[in-house]
Amino acid sequence: MSDSIDINGAAAGLFEPRITAFVCNWCTYTGADLAGTSRLHMASNVRIIRLPCTGRIDPLFIIKAFERGADGVIVSGCHPADCHYTSGNYHARRRFAVFHDIMEFIGVDPRRMTFSWVSASEGAKWRDVVNEAVTNVRALGPFAAYRALAPEGAGRAAPAGPSAAAVPASAGAKAEAS
Amino acid sequence: MTHAAPTRETYFISDDDLRALTGELLGAGTEVIAPVAVDVCASPSAIASSACLRPGVKPIDIEYRALEGAAELDLSRGLPVLSLKQYFLPEYEALCGWREHGIEVEIDAVPTEFAPRVVLAAKPCDSAALAVVDKVMNWDYQDELWNGRREATTIVNMACPVIDESCFCTAVGTAPDDDKGADALLTPVEGGYLMEATTDKGRALVEAHAARFKAATDAGGAEQRGRQAAEERAAARVRVAANLEIDAASVRDWIDTHFEDPLLAALGVRCNGCGACSSVCPTCHCFDIVDEEEGIGKGTRRRCWDTCQAPTFTLHASGHNPRDSQNPRYRQRINHKFSVYPLKFGEVLCTGCGRCTRVCHAGQDLVEILQAIDVAARRPEVAAT
Amino acid sequence: MNELRELARTLLTDGTVRVIIGWEDARRGARPAFVTDPADADRLIFDTRCVHNLVTYLDPRRDNVAELGKIGLVVKGCDAKAIAGLLREAQLNRDDVVLIGVRCGGVLEENELPAAVPLTPENVAPRCYGCDNREPALVDHLLGEAQPEPPRPVTTIDERVAALDAKPLEERWAFWTEQFGKCVRCYACRQVCPLCVCERCVAEKTRPQWIEASAHPRGNMSWNITRALHLAGRCVDCGECERFCPVGIPLSLMNRKLQQIVGERYGYTVSDDPENAAPIGDYRLDDKQEFIK
Repeated sequence: MSDSIDINGAAAGLFEPRITAFVCNWCTYTGADLAGTSRLHMASNVRIIRLPCTGRIDPLFIIKAFERGADGVIVSGCHPADCHYTSGNYHARRRFAVFHDIMEFIGVDPRRMTFSWVSASEGAKWRDVVNEAVTNVRALGPFAAYRALAPEGAGRAAPAGPSAAAVPASAGAKAEAS
Repeated sequence: MTHAAPTRETYFISDDDLRALTGELLGAGTEVIAPVAVDVCASPSAIASSACLRPGVKPIDIEYRALEGAAELDLSRGLPVLSLKQYFLPEYEALCGWREHGIEVEIDAVPTEFAPRVVLAAKPCDSAALAVVDKVMNWDYQDELWNGRREATTIVNMACPVIDESCFCTAVGTAPDDDKGADALLTPVEGGYLMEATTDKGRALVEAHAARFKAATDAGGAEQRGRQAAEERAAARVRVAANLEIDAASVRDWIDTHFEDPLLAALGVRCNGCGACSSVCPTCHCFDIVDEEEGIGKGTRRRCWDTCQAPTFTLHASGHNPRDSQNPRYRQRINHKFSVYPLKFGEVLCTGCGRCTRVCHAGQDLVEILQAIDVAARRPEVAAT
Repeated sequence: MNELRELARTLLTDGTVRVIIGWEDARRGARPAFVTDPADADRLIFDTRCVHNLVTYLDPRRDNVAELGKIGLVVKGCDAKAIAGLLREAQLNRDDVVLIGVRCGGVLEENELPAAVPLTPENVAPRCYGCDNREPALVDHLLGEAQPEPPRPVTTIDERVAALDAKPLEERWAFWTEQFGKCVRCYACRQVCPLCVCERCVAEKTRPQWIEASAHPRGNMSWNITRALHLAGRCVDCGECERFCPVGIPLSLMNRKLQQIVGERYGYTVSDDPENAAPIGDYRLDDKQEFIK
C-alpha cells in the first residue's frame, strides 16, 4: 500500500502539479475505474482523457497538454500482446520511444512524461503509476519553462511594442475589436 | 530618386557624437533600433552552426535590433538579414484577446499608440519600403497598428554603398541615398557624417540633440566633405544601376497585358513555395489572422506573416484553390509587385534590396526575371529570339 | 559532365522523357534546371555546387512540374534514398521517372559560388561525411567516375549532436528554445523536403488546431518537434531543410539525433532499397520498452 504518499500535499502548502493522462479505453481506463471503485487512495492531480487505444495518441496531444498548463503527462495502455485492436500499442510503443528520446534531446525532463502498461485488472498498478508520477512531477516543480514560451506582445523583434504603449489596454471593457 | 524637400538643412555629426547621441536617446528611455553586428559564434549555442567550428573567419550577421547600449551600433553599412518590416508589422501580433462569459464575449483591445522610438542607420531600401506599404495600410482600412508604429518612429537612413550584384534599388524608383519613408539621411564623410533632416520629425530629432550637430557649413572642411558625400552617393547610384536597368512603367504595362504569356506563366517551376522570399522582403505585407484558443473560453486573435507562395494561400473553404500550382502563385508575386500595386497605388511593391534573390536556395532570381520582362516589354524582337 | 549532357540529349530526342531535371549554372551559382529541348542539354552540369535534392520536384502536388511530362531526374546517392522513401510510401511509381544517377564525392556547404571548387574539410557539407551511397543503386543510368570519399569536416554532425547530448538538460532546453525562437514559420523546411508530401499538412489543420500558426516560441516548438518526428526513420539527410531555412535553425542536429534513435532502438538505417520498411509504422514484438513502466 502506498499510504505514505501525502495526498493532502495541498494542505501542507506543497506545489500541486497538474497531470494529464491519456489512457486507452479497454485497459488502463478500466483499470483506473477499478482503482476508484476499490477505493484505493491515490493523488488527485490527474485528469484522465480516454481514447480507444494508445495507438490513437498523437505526440501533439502531449505537446498541447504542456502548452495548456500540464506539468506532467501520463500515457498508458494495454500490455503488449493484449491490445484490444491487436497492434495499436505496438505502434504506440515505437512512436513514444522516439518521442520520449527526442523530447529529452530538446531538454524536456523525461520524468515529466510517464509511460505505462496498465491492464483492466491492475487498479493497484494504476494507483502506483499515478502516485509516482505526481511525486516525480511535484519534485520537478511547475513546468514553468514550457509556459514561458507563451507569446507576449508582438513579434520577436518588437517585444516592447504594445506593452510599451502610452495608452493602457482597455482590459475588461466590452470594447470593439480594433 | 531623391525627393526634393522644401527645407533641407544639412548638419555635420562626428562619429563620437553619433554614438553619444545614441547614448542620450537610450539614457532617456527611448528605444533605438539599429543594425547590430551579431557574432553568430559568440552565443552559447555556437554549436548550432558548423561554420563556427571551423578555423578562420567567423560568420557575422547584421540584424536590426533594439540597442542595449550605444556601443552595439554597427555602422559598417552591411545589409541586415531581415528588413525593418518586423518593427512595423511584427511576425506575429495580437489583435485582440477574448474571454467568453456564457453567451457574452469580452474583447481585450490592444493599444494602438506606441512609445516614441528612433531607427538609426536604416537602409534606404528598407525605409522606402515602409512608405510604399503605407499606401495599402491606409487604403480601404486604416491599419492602426501599422500607423501607430509609423507615427511613433523617427527613421534616420544611412546612405548605402550598394551590397552586391543582387541590389537594384534604382531600377524600382528609389536609390542608395534616398530618404523616402525616412526622416533624415546620414552620409559618411571624413570624421563623421553629414545629416540631412527631411521631415519635421527629423528636424525635431536634430533640435533635441542640437549639441551633437554642427551646421554643415560651419564645420571645418565643409566644402570638401560636401563634395565627398556627393561623389560617394553618385558613385553608389551608378554601381547599383549597373546591376539592373528597367523601365518600370513598361514592365508594369507588359505584365498587365500578358497574363498568359509563357514567360510569366512558367516562372514558378523551380520555386518550392517556402515563402522565405516573403519573410525577408521589406514590402511583402500579407498576413493571416488566427484565433488561438489558450484556455477554456479564452484566447487571442493574432495576425502573422503569410506568403502568397504557400499552397494554401488562396485555398477556399469549399476546397477550390484558384492558384493551385506554383506557376500561378509565382506569377502572382511578380504581378502584384510590379503591376497590380503600381497600377493601384503608383508605387512598385519592391525597393530592390535583393534579399529575396539572396535567400532563395532554389535559384529564383528576381534580377534575371525583371531583366527578361523588361526585354520582352521594350525589345520584343530580342525576346523572340 | 559530357556523359550527362549526351545522355540527356539522347533521352529527350528519342522521347524517353519530356524533361530532364538536373542542375545548371546561373548568376548566383548552381541551381535546378528544367531542360525540355535537347539543344539545351549543354546547360546541365554536375559539380560540387550541386547540393539541391531534386527529388522534391517529384512531389505529386507539383502540377506545374508534372505537366511538363515524363521526368528524367538526376540524383546523387542521398537523393536516391529519397526516391526509395517515396516508393516505400506508394507516392511514386518507379516507371514514372527515369533516374540518372551520378557518382558523388560530396558537395559544398556554401554552394552559391560562380564556379566549383574542390572539397576541403573547411568547405565540405558536414552531412556528406560517412556517406554510404556514393554509387546510387536505385537508378536507370549511373554516370561519372568513381569519386573519393568526402573529406571529414572540421566538426561532424555526430560530434555536434554528441556535444549537445553531453550538456545538461537545462542547457539543451535553452539552446533549442533559442533556435526555434528564430523560426518565422515559412515552412521552407517542409516545402523543400522530398518526403514531406502530405496532401494536407497537420500544421494547416484548423479544426481543431493542434499546431499554433503564429511564429511565437510556443507555436514554433510544436511545429519543429512535429516536423522532425514525422520524418523519424524517413529523413535521408539531404540537408535541404537546414540549407533552406532563412533564419539558420540547425535542423540537421534534430534529424541526425532521430536517425541515431531509430538506429539504436530498431537497427534501422535509411537506404535506397525500397523494400527496406521504415521503422515507424512497423513494429516488433520485442521492441525496447525500457522507458515504459
